[in-house]
Amino acid sequence: MPEQDTDRPSSHGLDAAVRRETTASRSFLAGLVAFAVIALCAYVLLESTLQALGQPAWLIDPASAARAVAALPEGTNRGLLSLVGAVVALAGLVLIVLALRRGRRGRRALPGGRVAVVVDDEVLASALAGRARAAAVVRPEQVTVVLSEREAVVNVRPTSGIPVRAEDVLAAVENELLRLRPEPYPVLRVRIEGTGVVGA
Amino acid sequence: MNSTPRMLNRVLILLAGLVLLAAGVLAVLLAAVPSVTAWWRGWAPQAALAAGRAFEGARVPGTSLSWLWIAAMVLTIVLALLMVWWVAQQGRGRRDLVAATAPDGGAGPGGSLADGEVPGRVSIAASAVEQALRSGLAERKDVLGTSVAAVDFEGSTALRVKVVARHGADPGDLAAEAERLVASLDSVMGTRTPVLVHIASGARARLSRAERVH
Repeated sequence: MPEQDTDRPSSHGLDAAVRRETTASRSFLAGLVAFAVIALCAYVLLESTLQALGQPAWLIDPASAARAVAALPEGTNRGLLSLVGAVVALAGLVLIVLALRRGRRGRRALPGGRVAVVVDDEVLASALAGRARAAAVVRPEQVTVVLSEREAVVNVRPTSGIPVRAEDVLAAVENELLRLRPEPYPVLRVRIEGTGVVGA
Repeated sequence: MNSTPRMLNRVLILLAGLVLLAAGVLAVLLAAVPSVTAWWRGWAPQAALAAGRAFEGARVPGTSLSWLWIAAMVLTIVLALLMVWWVAQQGRGRRDLVAATAPDGGAGPGGSLADGEVPGRVSIAASAVEQALRSGLAERKDVLGTSVAAVDFEGSTALRVKVVARHGADPGDLAAEAERLVASLDSVMGTRTPVLVHIASGARARLSRAERVH
């Protein structure tokens, strides 16, 4: 069964690379944070240079800024201050969650011998949909597969008047999953919708 | 499969998040909770004044420039440069060559030339492998594109093969085909490079029609 495959090192020796490929590197977020910090540094540098040269400040000189911050919440609208604070805190919380959570990337590993194989969830879902379509004898538009990390949900809308046996679809798709053995292995669910499609 | 510093990314993003969260929560509390406002008034204005005096007092002799300002400017420049370095680390670790012999190295003991060898250097470019795999997969109707990148992996070179599959392609079959092609490449190149095959669904795959013949 697929669970046993995780313990055994595979012959391609690329298990670490597969782990890297199936999780997010957060490089976009890193670039965003770096850009924000660089912009802030550039602004502080500009204002302190103007101050050092004795030129008038662009937006606010450092001394006035320090006084304004120290005098909070005077001098500002309290509602506005708490609103800005809430937005900033929320942004911080999002960054913390994204940094701590396991970065999902919508990919999973297939067992490989000489080569390590990583497959996009969309490709896998499309393959499962093909099997479900063949087992249910319906058109491709009548089958949708939603693949999340733990679950694969197959939705079939039968043709009106021609019943679809859920067991057949389940067996066919389970068979395909057992053949491909993706890791993480999803729990399979099949839903046959009550309303049929007319004239399909 | 490159040398993007993932742990560093997580730590720095977490740090930025903590700073933002703390600043935001402080602003909300200052605006809404009177006791926090009283606590802030108890020390913040004095601290601002003390900082101002420190900056005024630390003048470089003979000028009106405070050396604390210079220190602050150097600090911001260093911080900005560190951020630039951080961005430069993202997606690093690409290589041009899949395999290369040592310069003028022979197969004999200690790198000496064996019988029939001549001095020289053989290197195999990643683009050569890309050409070979592309032509190998070109006949398949369920493959829309192939690209190969040579990357650093645990001190040696590994190949990252990206195969863009058409809608409805069989990933198991594609993986087997890629494995077969790589095995034949091994015998052609004479080296066994680790290979990772990524069966992807790109924008082109989403727009293309599914293969209807099964």
